[in-house]
Amino acid sequence: MVTGIGVVSPYGIGLDCLQEGMLSGKCCLAPTKDVYPGFEGSTAQVYGLPLPAKGADFRYSRSDRLAMAAARDAVATLDCENSAFREGGVFMASTVAGLSEIDPEIAEDPAAWYRRGSGLARAASYPPAHVADAVGDHLGVRGPRCAISAACASSAMAIALSANMLLDGAAPMMLAGGSDALCPFTLSGFSSLQALDKDACRPFDQNRKGLNLGEGAAVLVLETLDAAVARDANVLAVLRGWAMTNDAFHSTAPQTQGAGLADCMRLGMEMAEVRGDEIGYVNAHGTGTPLNDVAESHAYETAFRGCGRPVPVSSTKSYFGHCLGAAGALEAAITIMAVRCGALLPTLRLKDPIESPGVEWLQGEVRREVLPLAMSVSAGFGGSNTALIFGSRS
Amino acid sequence: MNVNLATITGIGSVSPYGPFAGLILPSAVELEPITAWKTAGLRRAFLVKPFRPADVVPGLKTRRLDRLSAWALVTSSLALQDAGIDLSQVDRSRVAVVLGTGFGCAELTEAFFQSAAVNGWSGTDPSPFPEGLANAPASHVSLLHGLRGPNITVGTTGFAGESALIQAASLLRHGQADLAIVLAGDTLTRAVYEWYEAANLLSPACYNPDLQPEGGGFVPSEGLVALVLEPAGRRDVRSYARFSSGCCAAGGNAVETIRALLGDSVPNLTICAGNGAPCGTSSPTDLAREISGHDADVVPAQAVAEGLADAGALLHLILALSREPRSGQALLLATSGDGGFAALRLELL
Repeated sequence: MVTGIGVVSPYGIGLDCLQEGMLSGKCCLAPTKDVYPGFEGSTAQVYGLPLPAKGADFRYSRSDRLAMAAARDAVATLDCENSAFREGGVFMASTVAGLSEIDPEIAEDPAAWYRRGSGLARAASYPPAHVADAVGDHLGVRGPRCAISAACASSAMAIALSANMLLDGAAPMMLAGGSDALCPFTLSGFSSLQALDKDACRPFDQNRKGLNLGEGAAVLVLETLDAAVARDANVLAVLRGWAMTNDAFHSTAPQTQGAGLADCMRLGMEMAEVRGDEIGYVNAHGTGTPLNDVAESHAYETAFRGCGRPVPVSSTKSYFGHCLGAAGALEAAITIMAVRCGALLPTLRLKDPIESPGVEWLQGEVRREVLPLAMSVSAGFGGSNTALIFGSRS
Repeated sequence: MNVNLATITGIGSVSPYGPFAGLILPSAVELEPITAWKTAGLRRAFLVKPFRPADVVPGLKTRRLDRLSAWALVTSSLALQDAGIDLSQVDRSRVAVVLGTGFGCAELTEAFFQSAAVNGWSGTDPSPFPEGLANAPASHVSLLHGLRGPNITVGTTGFAGESALIQAASLLRHGQADLAIVLAGDTLTRAVYEWYEAANLLSPACYNPDLQPEGGGFVPSEGLVALVLEPAGRRDVRSYARFSSGCCAAGGNAVETIRALLGDSVPNLTICAGNGAPCGTSSPTDLAREISGHDADVVPAQAVAEGLADAGALLHLILALSREPRSGQALLLATSGDGGFAALRLELL
């Protein structure tokens, strides 16, 4: 059961901000050079992030702070003195983590860089595990803690593995999600790979040219049905099925036919015991890169073959870019929002979709319909794929 | 966390002892002077001696990979060989890879920063960027062996190795994989070593050739261990140990939690891992005696594995299996400096 959702996105803090912004069709992408001089293209930045306590600011990376704000938002309605909360676990994803706090000068002379100002503490925030610790310590939870770094599928995996841990009895409650900050390291990295679109990205469009980077964090509160019922929790959605696979194909490119991703969706549907035609909406990985989107379209053709109608798919990365390790959790939150509102979000700027007869590419206006089940799909460098299936409580 | 019995059927390692399939042959391992970068005087650590991966696993290509990725390919191959697994006879969509690491591909991350320092952010070298991602080693293992099951890279402060083993066993329990390759380790780089030094964590033995690491303090180390984990009883093969349950927590009552994990059984051997820092008022050894009694047989933490910090658990385990061959119930126990603890319950075979 999903009993809490916390979101920090370029729309602001909270699911309400995200919902209002996305349903109104607002795009948060803006010129990167406004924030990072020297970089071209478009990015989406979070503004108004709360500052940590005075004197502790150097201990927390921007990814930590995004995660802490999202986690605080996720537990806002929970009784934080409750023992289930205190014994709860934290499973956070990050690919950037504290890299945002480190300068290139570290490579020339690390010892000198550590001696400069707060270098030692800033470098300590480098491992992804620091994000999980920041969340756990901030909220005072003392159950199992884990961080995951599986590129852009990371936080979807954090949710899937947290669900496993709940079923294992590892903790009575799990806070699962991801957080990643924008920083020169990733801007430069994706730029060097020529993966960035200089304009606003156009996922699934025949004229797509690449991705835009964004930043944010999302945290879901997960509990078993019994635990949620026992404390009369407000159940926001049900995680009906989840699956993880790997392409075993290439370090950075997806398997051309999307076979690993298709297997992942199939396994998720098997676990949820649902058919493809019961999935009313798929929130796609949809980065906007030439290779990803065509492989992903093949994956939908395979996974939903035999359904009575094309499966409705959109990429919400067109609203605020690709948030890397946070993307899976943010898109899980958006998928739950879609189920709760009965709103199928279109891909922005999608004019000339990839030809894929088994897929209905959502474009134009938000479509309203009752949505009992929806799927969120994530993939990443290294071939990792994750599928999460959410349903309404009923 | 309770899991169905999962059996360790294969071991591969790259460590200061060298590359090994199966248990490490007992031998002394010395601190080595660091020569990979310029140091201000003598600096020592437990280092993996350079070797050509293709000399250990014929045909292996590791150019442009971080050493952690290269070691992941070597150790996973050795572990599969040790387990006697012919992957052509296995459904590779049902094989998971789980890596526990503290720093990931630190070498290539530093290389990317280096290229930014030299050329500016607009002129960085593309190749270290994707290869520097923390999940690159696990991804290369899947790529090399054609493994299409879940591919997961985890980190937990103090307990990355324990977390990897727990997550892998959980995948088997939930039927999300039939077999898992579990890896844990890290490489030692200049930035990592100098961070320990700047934080005043290094043992005097790192500076003085006449001192031994047992004298106290922390001696950084490097290496990677891979285990093949299978559901118990699936194949009639030799097993090293059965993993039955494990827990990992950031705080709370360690004794109470671990006793609940153990149930009625009292381990006849406790293998200490972790950094030896206080857990509340207990070091891992004290905590072991509190759980198992004052006469309990306790293997103290080994300096060479302790030097791996977060990712040392699997090296602690295979060193104990190599040096203390015995059967019966065992507990792998680790503590962190801030009240955290991890415990894995094993049956040694």
